[in-house]
Amino acid sequence: MRLVLAAVLVLGTGAAAFWFLSAPDPLAAAAVPTGGDAARGEAVFWAGGCASCHAEPSATGDAKLVLAGGMVLKTPLGPITVPNISPSRQGIGGWSDADFANAVTRGIAPNGSHYVPAFPWTSYRHMAPGDVADLKAFMDTLPPSDAEPGAAGLPFPFGWRRPIGLWKRFAMTDAPPVPDGADDEVRRGHYLAVALGHCGECHTPRTALMAMDPARWLKGAPNPDGEGTTPDITAAGLDGWSAADIAYLLETGFTPDYDSVGGSMSAVIDNWAKVAPEDRQAIARYLQAVPGAP
Amino acid sequence: MTAARTTAATLMAASLTLSLSLGALAQDSPQEQRHAIMEDVGDAMGVLGGMAKGETAYDADAAIAALDTMITEAPVFLTLFPEGSETGHDTRAKPEIWSDRAGFEEKGEAMITAASNAKETAGNGLDALRAAMGPLGQSCRGCHETYRAPKN
Repeated sequence: MRLVLAAVLVLGTGAAAFWFLSAPDPLAAAAVPTGGDAARGEAVFWAGGCASCHAEPSATGDAKLVLAGGMVLKTPLGPITVPNISPSRQGIGGWSDADFANAVTRGIAPNGSHYVPAFPWTSYRHMAPGDVADLKAFMDTLPPSDAEPGAAGLPFPFGWRRPIGLWKRFAMTDAPPVPDGADDEVRRGHYLAVALGHCGECHTPRTALMAMDPARWLKGAPNPDGEGTTPDITAAGLDGWSAADIAYLLETGFTPDYDSVGGSMSAVIDNWAKVAPEDRQAIARYLQAVPGAP
Repeated sequence: MTAARTTAATLMAASLTLSLSLGALAQDSPQEQRHAIMEDVGDAMGVLGGMAKGETAYDADAAIAALDTMITEAPVFLTLFPEGSETGHDTRAKPEIWSDRAGFEEKGEAMITAASNAKETAGNGLDALRAAMGPLGQSCRGCHETYRAPKN
């Protein structure tokens, strides 16, 4: 009898600890950014690359602004369908500023569940509050779509998202800080690469717990698309490239020897082509300041 | 006069290179032939890119010649994917070329269209050339996105 009581107590304590430690940790109400500016938000939108995954897979040109979802991402835990995030009932229409900021910077859905980190809130959590508000203001102006992409979440047991709370608390890593001696342009590049461009999500190898490994930041990683590896984009990997070369790749997709990028990077260029030239230059300067392999 | 002569020489060299590479193509495997064409297209893109980036002086004739290389060679490229050439010779062609031939050819035609459109304007000065680079690059990666495997 005493043994049963002890077992119940241990299990109960364990379950309570799990529930407590995996709980969502939303922004305090006072920390929710509000009053965004849609015009400024467009730049955040392109630098953040939202359309790469959330536009319909076949969309080109202006159709990329219809964030209907539907793309199927291959993740290490199984395929996952990208949701509709257009301003409609099926998307993010009617979301409050807090709903939006918690989704983008904390990985928490309006119903309190955790988002799978295929959605790169792991990077977006470094976004400046003003950029979050501006992004929401811009996305609220986009065309609504009533598409309801298949609710194909991850297969069992990974479809249960509560444990992601533990991952957030214990596994998630921070990006390396701004490089020593950085000027304003390099600082801006660091912000753009880390918080908006989320370069590390594909270009940084992951730890055993599937978080970006800061010790191997941007050194190239197994391609999340499942084939080959993404290139090393540290100073070592880009040896021989000028800042202008890097900025030109982001604008047109051409390497210095006029090969053209392919795979998922193609959509990344579609986005960065729409970003201000000085921001492309800032990323270029930052990448040149990221230490490469010893 | 010197400039005109240089341009003429460049054009002759370019057409010679083109006919040489097309001639050499006949003996090579489809994989090698299409690789050679992509190298030619890359070199031609380099002529345009060098000007667009300000590394070389703008030269309308050379820009048009580079675009002609693409317009001439791309249709040949699209015929070089017969059954049996899916692998070998380090090809980076993806199986989707064979499983979705219509999609692949659509992307190829889009590149020819982009080069033809660029040819309309690229002779009108450096700014016009620079503006043409965006759609051209988009047509390159539009195909590489789906139909070319990563390098590593």
